[in-house]
Amino acid sequence: MDSELAEISAFIQAIPPFDTLPATVTLQLVKEINICYVRAKQPLPPKGIEEARLYILRKGALVYTDHNGQLVGKYTEGEICSVFCRPAQRNEVNVNTEEDTLLYSLNYQKLLSLVTDYPQIDAFFMQTAAERLKGKMSKVNEEAIINSSLINNPISQFYHKPVLTINSEQSIQQAAIEMTAKDVSCLVVINPEKDTASVPVGIVTDKDIRRRCVAEGLPFTRPVSEIMTIDMATLPEQSSAYDALMLMTSKRIHHLPITGFSQSGEYGELVAMVTITDLMNNEGHNAVNITSIIRKAGTINDLIRISKLLPKLQIRMAKLGTSADHVGKSISAITMAFTIRIIEMSEKINGKAPVPYAWLACGSQGRQEQLAHSDQDNALIISDDLRPEHEAWFENLASFVCDGLAACGFVLCPGDIMATNPKWRQPQKKWHKYFEQWVNTPRPQALLNGCVFFDLTTVHGDESLLNDVRVKLLKKTSGNSLFLAHMSRNALMLRPPLGFFRDFVLISDGDHKSSLDIKHNGIAPIVDLARIYALAEGIASVNTIERLQKAAGTPSISRESAANLIDAYEFLGILRLEHQANLLQVNKEANNYLSPKKLSKLEREHLKDAFKVIKALQDSRQSTS
Amino acid sequence: MISNHPFFYRLLGYEAQRKRAWARAPKGALKDFLSIEFPDPNTPLSDIDILSVDFETTGLHAINDKLLSVGFIGIKQQQISLKDSYHQIIKTKDELSADNVIIHQITDQQKEQGAPLKEVVEVLLNALAGKVMLVHFARIERQFLQQACLELYGVAPVFPMIDTLMIAKRQLDKKDVAYDPSDLRLSALRYQHGLPNHFAHNALNDAIATAELLMVQVSNMPNSTLKLNDLLL
Repeated sequence: MDSELAEISAFIQAIPPFDTLPATVTLQLVKEINICYVRAKQPLPPKGIEEARLYILRKGALVYTDHNGQLVGKYTEGEICSVFCRPAQRNEVNVNTEEDTLLYSLNYQKLLSLVTDYPQIDAFFMQTAAERLKGKMSKVNEEAIINSSLINNPISQFYHKPVLTINSEQSIQQAAIEMTAKDVSCLVVINPEKDTASVPVGIVTDKDIRRRCVAEGLPFTRPVSEIMTIDMATLPEQSSAYDALMLMTSKRIHHLPITGFSQSGEYGELVAMVTITDLMNNEGHNAVNITSIIRKAGTINDLIRISKLLPKLQIRMAKLGTSADHVGKSISAITMAFTIRIIEMSEKINGKAPVPYAWLACGSQGRQEQLAHSDQDNALIISDDLRPEHEAWFENLASFVCDGLAACGFVLCPGDIMATNPKWRQPQKKWHKYFEQWVNTPRPQALLNGCVFFDLTTVHGDESLLNDVRVKLLKKTSGNSLFLAHMSRNALMLRPPLGFFRDFVLISDGDHKSSLDIKHNGIAPIVDLARIYALAEGIASVNTIERLQKAAGTPSISRESAANLIDAYEFLGILRLEHQANLLQVNKEANNYLSPKKLSKLEREHLKDAFKVIKALQDSRQSTS
Repeated sequence: MISNHPFFYRLLGYEAQRKRAWARAPKGALKDFLSIEFPDPNTPLSDIDILSVDFETTGLHAINDKLLSVGFIGIKQQQISLKDSYHQIIKTKDELSADNVIIHQITDQQKEQGAPLKEVVEVLLNALAGKVMLVHFARIERQFLQQACLELYGVAPVFPMIDTLMIAKRQLDKKDVAYDPSDLRLSALRYQHGLPNHFAHNALNDAIATAELLMVQVSNMPNSTLKLNDLLL
């Protein structure tokens, strides 16, 4: 009769990874347990115990510190100390009891011999924090692949080929006949004079025939090249389906030719075509759908109605187990669509822009990491041809768009980083100057406010305006140790709360008593690190994951560390998404304050792992700058 | 002089009684148990092997009431080893009374599947040899075990014992403040010392709970000088 140890069995069975074991195996483990009691402020292992043992906290608390006496972690009831499982690990960290502590301990070799059929147990204890997180994230990604199609799938799964083409010399009528016969609304125009016959020179659609031929009274015997759209957007075939969606949203196009490498190695050969319908059919009522109805909206009121769908979309994506990257990109794409549509409405009222300009997004939208109804952070960059009499047009545009976005639930930026602020509605030369100041004479406070501008993206308008600024900026920042040191100092002010599960650095005021600010203590530190790596290495990307991917293997960060940081970032992102989805579902306002009590034990383990990864990289940043 | 110390006399008594009982005991488990010397009282406590024992009974009177179950667990080098744990329900003849069943939760049906008293006592004596017995409230375990030995072997031996209740009582008496006797219950003492709740009135659980309590009590004493005879009853 063994049920007498049921109490201890139940306790062990509730703790990952033992929760994956059958009860009979757990009972065998329980019989191997030694119970010991260690008073507060004593070192572990208990005196006289040299063999490799695993310790499980029944009561009390343990504190881990590194060689410098810095706190590395705290462990409490129901948590496991695996430091003494392998002799090599023993010297990395000092373990002391913080309170009087009752410990269950297991001889590690004996434990392994009992769970040989359950390799996950050994793996759990032998992996480092980073490795465990990676295991978790690959599982999450699998779910995302099952549940979603766009972000994780290459565009090749959606496009169709062969692409219907027409020679640029053929007539408009021949194009119309071809389109009717094949029942398509679009043909890619190719140039027969070139050797590489399949390089596209333009695209012709139903709309072009209607607007540029019939409406203009152009004879349909004219060559199709006269009405085709040139400078068309194309996308390399390695791109993801979401890249296609982003491009089509920003360019407001429905057809996107996909290009690959030609046999001669030359880039740009036409391989396929993807339409917005191809993407929509696959995703049903979701991001793609919403962007397409935004495009058709006639008034701000229509847009307000559509904006109510955003929280629902976010809930749905979170519940599907979609990755945080995916959600961020979808919501950002939708915000982009809103912004463009409102800009179009403004242009309808105030006429076309007097000089070229671009509407810019910064902060989370710029990085494509936005969540439903976050603050708007935006700016305007205007051509240097700007004259004083033009300024009113841009002011009108700024207030129309910012008000419109606010009406759609995008809260006005409390820091006044918006195009309505004249400071952030400036000609290109002024933007050059801003960045020059931030980089050449960095002052901590100015940099703190300015760091959102290192994440700028063009939402609408002339992309070259911002690109020029960025090229110049990156030349100045890469290898600029003084500037990077200032950026690092700011970035290191936000530290992950390592003592999280006991008396950790919690927000102790107002409504969010005893909660963890997952944005500021977890996500923001990673975003900051990625930004510094990008600026140091001259990387133009602004999306955090892309920055980390591109910085991987540079002097700034090793490949392995970058991969760990991406895993940590994704994990924290998912935790935040789930938390917000739960709030949104009960009609509460989404926030970033996680209550540790609401987390499962496993989530806490992973959260701790994520914090460790961040801290390790922050520390190495500190020592290099 | 050490030999003047009252505990020394007491233990001399234990050893003398052990030898006397050994001489009288019939061949078998009890004689085997008594053939092994009790631990030297001057041994540091950390070197003593302890067996924490708990009985569930049908009542408080060793002669009228019966042993229902026995649980024990070993403490070696200040560690409780669950491998050395034992729990057994005893097959007694008497019907169990309902209000008693509520406490120990052993039903007549379970009792019927239990082991004979002799078998259980033999396992216990075998495990106890050369060790000190740990209990909470020594009277029950001592009287019931002596009574069982008397019935089985015709000899009632002595057992060197540590009693967590007495340790707590001495500490409270030293403070010279009034306390409620219920403060000395196992669960109350565990609570006072910050130990987790346990499922009481199961012989093995209570034996483990008592062993944990002893570890806490000992950890609160000046460890370097602690000897067995500082704790012996």
